[in-house]
Amino acid sequence: MKNNSFYKGRLAFWYLIVFGFLISCTPALAKTALPTLPSSTQQNQISGIITDGTGPLAGVTITIKGQQKTTISDFDGKFTIRASPNDMLIFSFMSYKTLTIPVAGRTIINIEMHQDATSLQEVKINAGYYSVKESERTGSIAKITAKDIEKQPVTNPLAAMQGRMSGVNITQATGVPGGGFDIQIRGINSIRTEGNSPLYIVDGVPYSSQSLGFSSASSGILAGTTSPLNGINPTDLESIEVLKDADATAIYGSRGANGVVLITTKKGKTGKTKFNLNAYSSFGTLTRTLDLMHTDQYLSMRREAFSNDGITTYPSYAYDVNGKWDQTRYTNWQKELIGGTATTNNLQATLSGGSSGTQYLLSGTMHKETTVFPGDAKYGKGAVHTSLTHSTEDGRFKINFSANYTADKNILPPSDFTYKAAVLAPNAPALYDANGNLNWENNSWTNPLATLNGRYTATTAALIANTLLSYQILEGLELKTSLSYTDNRVEENRINPSTMYNPAFGIGSERSTLYLNNASSHSWTMEPQLNWLKKIGKSEINILAGATFQDQKSSQLAQTGSGFPSNGLIYNLAAASRLNISSNSFSEYKYQAFFGRINFNYKSKYILNATGRRDGSSRFGPGNRFANFAAVGAAWVFSKESFLDTSTFLSFGKLRASYGTSGNDQIGDYQFLDTYDVTGNNYNGVIGLQPSRLFNPNFAWETNKKLEIAIELGFVNDRVFLSTAYYRNRSSNQLVGIPLAGTTGFSSLQANLNATVQNSGLELELRVEPFRSKNFNWTSNFNLSLPKNKLLEFPNLESSPYANRYLIGQSISIQKVYHYTGINPQTGLYSFEDYDSDGQISSPNDQQWIEDTAPNWFGGFANQLSYKNWSMDFLFQFVKQKARNYLYNTSWAGDMVNQPIAIGNHWPVDGSNSQTQLYTTGENGEALDAWSSYSNSSATISDASYIRLKSVSLSYTVPTKGSAINTARVYLQAQNLLTFTNYKGADPENQSSFFIAPLRQISLGVQLGL
Amino acid sequence: MKYYRQIQVALIAALIVITCLWLFSCDSFTETDLPKTQLIKTAVFQDVKTATAALSDCYAQMRDYSMITGNSDGLSSLLGNYADELTYYGVSDSPLQNFYNHTLLPSNSGVSVLWNSSYNQIYAANAIVEGVDNSTAITGDNRNRLKGEALFIRAFIHFNLVNLFGDIPYITSTDYKTNTMISKQTQADVYNQIIADLLEAKELLPETYTSAQRIRPNKYTVSALLARVFLYTENWQLAENESNAIINKTAFYQWQDNLDLVFLKDSPSTIWQLHPGVAGLNTMEGRTFIFTSAPPNIEAISPELFNAFEAGDQRKNHWLGSVNDGTDTYYFPFKYKLDTNSGTSQEYSIIFRLEEQYLIRAEARIHLGKLAEAKNDINKIRQRATLANTTANTSEELSQAVLQERRVELFTEFGHRWFDLKRTGKTGTVLSVIKPAWKDRDNLLPLPASELLANSHLLPQNQGY
Repeated sequence: MKNNSFYKGRLAFWYLIVFGFLISCTPALAKTALPTLPSSTQQNQISGIITDGTGPLAGVTITIKGQQKTTISDFDGKFTIRASPNDMLIFSFMSYKTLTIPVAGRTIINIEMHQDATSLQEVKINAGYYSVKESERTGSIAKITAKDIEKQPVTNPLAAMQGRMSGVNITQATGVPGGGFDIQIRGINSIRTEGNSPLYIVDGVPYSSQSLGFSSASSGILAGTTSPLNGINPTDLESIEVLKDADATAIYGSRGANGVVLITTKKGKTGKTKFNLNAYSSFGTLTRTLDLMHTDQYLSMRREAFSNDGITTYPSYAYDVNGKWDQTRYTNWQKELIGGTATTNNLQATLSGGSSGTQYLLSGTMHKETTVFPGDAKYGKGAVHTSLTHSTEDGRFKINFSANYTADKNILPPSDFTYKAAVLAPNAPALYDANGNLNWENNSWTNPLATLNGRYTATTAALIANTLLSYQILEGLELKTSLSYTDNRVEENRINPSTMYNPAFGIGSERSTLYLNNASSHSWTMEPQLNWLKKIGKSEINILAGATFQDQKSSQLAQTGSGFPSNGLIYNLAAASRLNISSNSFSEYKYQAFFGRINFNYKSKYILNATGRRDGSSRFGPGNRFANFAAVGAAWVFSKESFLDTSTFLSFGKLRASYGTSGNDQIGDYQFLDTYDVTGNNYNGVIGLQPSRLFNPNFAWETNKKLEIAIELGFVNDRVFLSTAYYRNRSSNQLVGIPLAGTTGFSSLQANLNATVQNSGLELELRVEPFRSKNFNWTSNFNLSLPKNKLLEFPNLESSPYANRYLIGQSISIQKVYHYTGINPQTGLYSFEDYDSDGQISSPNDQQWIEDTAPNWFGGFANQLSYKNWSMDFLFQFVKQKARNYLYNTSWAGDMVNQPIAIGNHWPVDGSNSQTQLYTTGENGEALDAWSSYSNSSATISDASYIRLKSVSLSYTVPTKGSAINTARVYLQAQNLLTFTNYKGADPENQSSFFIAPLRQISLGVQLGL
Repeated sequence: MKYYRQIQVALIAALIVITCLWLFSCDSFTETDLPKTQLIKTAVFQDVKTATAALSDCYAQMRDYSMITGNSDGLSSLLGNYADELTYYGVSDSPLQNFYNHTLLPSNSGVSVLWNSSYNQIYAANAIVEGVDNSTAITGDNRNRLKGEALFIRAFIHFNLVNLFGDIPYITSTDYKTNTMISKQTQADVYNQIIADLLEAKELLPETYTSAQRIRPNKYTVSALLARVFLYTENWQLAENESNAIINKTAFYQWQDNLDLVFLKDSPSTIWQLHPGVAGLNTMEGRTFIFTSAPPNIEAISPELFNAFEAGDQRKNHWLGSVNDGTDTYYFPFKYKLDTNSGTSQEYSIIFRLEEQYLIRAEARIHLGKLAEAKNDINKIRQRATLANTTANTSEELSQAVLQERRVELFTEFGHRWFDLKRTGKTGTVLSVIKPAWKDRDNLLPLPASELLANSHLLPQNQGY
């Protein structure tokens, strides 16, 4: 294979040199190329104060029409500018109506500016490589801003998005700090479970969502591996945009199939130097717990189970009923093990400001968090964010530099206590003995707190740095280059010292184990772009062309060491007598693309937007590396047509549609090579090598064809604004393991399968402003998504390993289970539908009942209310769905584990309509078989719909007039405050019996601006 | 100064040209270096050490997964239960229980594991054959040894497959396009290819072992398998020739008189054994069969096998272990004595041993009319078990005597008992008595259902399923 890395590097090098030279020339160029306008008339100093009717308005841009000269109003609303008596001054400020005022010989001009009624339509939406006015947008883009993010005490940016965007379904996997989130933008597109992540772009930099974690170290506590998004500090964010349809995502080509999440950090604004301090403390507790049996209920279940099994003498190991344990004792284990209060402290200081030429922002954040578990678990995070923007006086050369560095350290117990808390017998012994030591109650139980002698520690550091250079070559022609670097490092370890086990077993440090993971990934990206804007009469043409070069290198070394001379040396791998290297990998990903956009806009009424990208990725073999993606979007702002122009009722109306393709290259590196892997199999001291896979260099991208049609309607000055979208995405060319005959040596081949998954749905967003007045404002946002997932095609599904998982025409989130038909009145055991009528309940033939666990619909209802100095925000999030309930993971009734109270409704006491079958201690084989089928039956999938008061925030702005403090705000916030659900289980969001649910956080904070 | 405009334009033009150049050379940008932590197939076969690592992995796979593994997925357990050697005590509805009860369905996961892991191992062996053939760096003795061993592995696995499943495809390449739609071949054709591979391997492999512990096959190991193949195909003369070659090689192979030493790693009667891997480990057979509390976890020696031992047979005392739970005594195969780690490994899993060669030769000699010599071979086995010489005289009686000795000598070693019953046509008469679900179809395992769906050329399913 050809290896000419120098050649590649040399080109990049030349490119930089030439570009650098060009930039270095610019100040000189600017001076000479643009002769200053001759001042034909005499100029006067003009000054004034700008107000919004109630107070001064800072940051208003004042320009002279037809000239470059610009100034900005200061904090007191004051401005000064030199202008001729005949000049026109333009006053512009975001979300305010732009005013054009003739100087008319005056030297003092005081202005009152008013909020623009249709201002939201004027807001620029970031679409990644370009931005568009909300009203002229052809694609589907959802957005939240710092306003929404700041009102929620969250540590992961995804948490701030929950419930606020239609089509975006986010669930939190665990309430432990640093844990993972799952995000689906318009459903699941890929049959490969690992191929459904969106593309994250932070300030224009692709941010790898691939976790560097080692699941052996973290899976017991984090519900997976450590989330890479912890490297992004939510309070440093200005906005998050989610690109959904083809029009918006095709420009991201091969990586846009699952949507794009654009994260933009805060930047400095022109104005007086501002120092802002924000601090909050928060208390987190569980939202819901299971209703578990009390000691008397539990013991009666156990005794009945023994009597059912015909056992009269309780066996020696049945400590709960045989008298070894106090039978009057009761412990609420959920309270004991997961019922603590987690505290969070967050402090952020920001310094920002700038002149018209240079703006800066420096911000530092400290964050500390504990858990609801016993012990000293804690999570700490520190983040630094800097942003520097500079432009030359003529505004032609601009540079923006931003860097985010986040370091966090997570110290947690090695495993979650949630399951233990649910299953421990309620009369199990006390945790501590009289001397305060761990109580082992004569070796009759495993003290759950012994787990705390183990520990999971993760240290991560993430750097995202970006420099964006732009130069306006000619009027309307701009050259931009973004140069960026990211660096992610994870150091993880988990210790299992022998002290986690009962000392009576005599286990020494020879059984102590250390799991260690060191992983890093760094990448550089370069994106030169050329943007040309031309106005021809009433039309406007905007052409963008650009290229992307990205190189990402990742490496991981995951090791397990066991058998230490002493537990004191457990962190020293050199002291381990047995060492196993679980993974030692290195991979490189190279990506290159050429992209473009042509936007044609006629009178802001007819808009056509065409985007395309040609992508090359090193993840595919020669010949398959390149692919083209393109989309076209169109919008018709019909409210600007003459026949509607005068309508006072309909203030805005737009119809838009888009169609196009985007792709998915999330398949891991080097899959197309014919390689041998190290198996770790030892044969006489030789470590084995085996063929990694069947060699197929010919697989290519997954393609997602996206169609969207939407209508946006604004009524009564846009105080009622409705937008409805229908989308249909078809993901084909699925990259999966295609089943092959075993005679090939393997069961499958990595290749493109002619299967098609369709995600279609309806999204509805409604914004209403019931009140808008000087003192009282109320805005409501409602969003609803109705997704539908369907497997359209799958050739030879029946003969594939997916035969028992999927059905053509059904969602790919279905589960095929036994159909529970109630308690058999003869046997008292669970009974099921015998689909193949063979008299036996067996897999797979009788697992024909279909349950779909994808959400039927979901949405959010957000409200912002403000009255004078008070403001209040609340968000309800709701989901209609089915999910596995607690019956899926609990043991059979009668076993030595606690059960939910509902299980107590049982046969024969409560007749054939009982919830639970005949109790057994485990001796009744038929009952066990029935229970085992029951765990995988329709009975364990039930409604998990919920409405949750996701976030509430109440804040009061303290009047500070006359003091040194500019702004002061006190706020009370709550997250997950109330949950309404019929879910049989702890939490309908994470639906887990093993991991702690998202916590209810109540926080109190203060914000000061100097 | 007035040239700035031109310089500017020139620079922009240069930028655009460079961008275009880059675009046209994009193939080179997206080319990455080879992975540092994996090896490209061609590189594996440019170095004897890495090629040996690939071969070693084949042995490790055979040791750990399926067919000749000592765990309960292997033939020793599966066919021990399928025939009359073991009684099953494990959880209900397991693949192994279906073997024991003769309730095998084409969907049985034990059956598909046998099939798939075997062909996976054959793939690895074929990859070695192809890799070594195409290698420019591996030549001479190294090439011969690697290729010879790979051919031996390929033949050995196919030999087991053909005996279990009947007509099967014989896979000789790594090309999935051919192999995914390949057709079955008749048993005779499969045997012809097994023999051809083994004869080639015999030419390629040296007489000496590559290591002290006989953990990689030599020329005599190939002979041992050939002897077995010729026995099964009733090529009596050839079978006798092959076993003679081994028995006469007394410089390598000596009779072990002490029954307790037969299954130790340094036993002189071992022809080929599998290294247990990490130092201190012993055999999987030991860990699978030995139990210390009753009733047993998975399986125990069946009453039929227990009663098959003649009175005074020392193998019953030395090669069976027992546990009494107060009422019943349960027996387990105790050929391998260790079920835990030891400081250094004591026992390796023995695949071919000298005793079998005596029994093969005895049987071949009966059919060749050399009855007296056959009797001597039988008595050689009986004497070590402190049994009196056999009283059998006619060829009929002697055949019966060989079968009996094979039963008590080779029990729970890779399904010898089942294969013996099958090739002598006795499965029905012996098993229908003790297996209520016995059907004639049981002589062959069903082809895995998933395989028939994946490759219709494997149809028809074996008769009766």
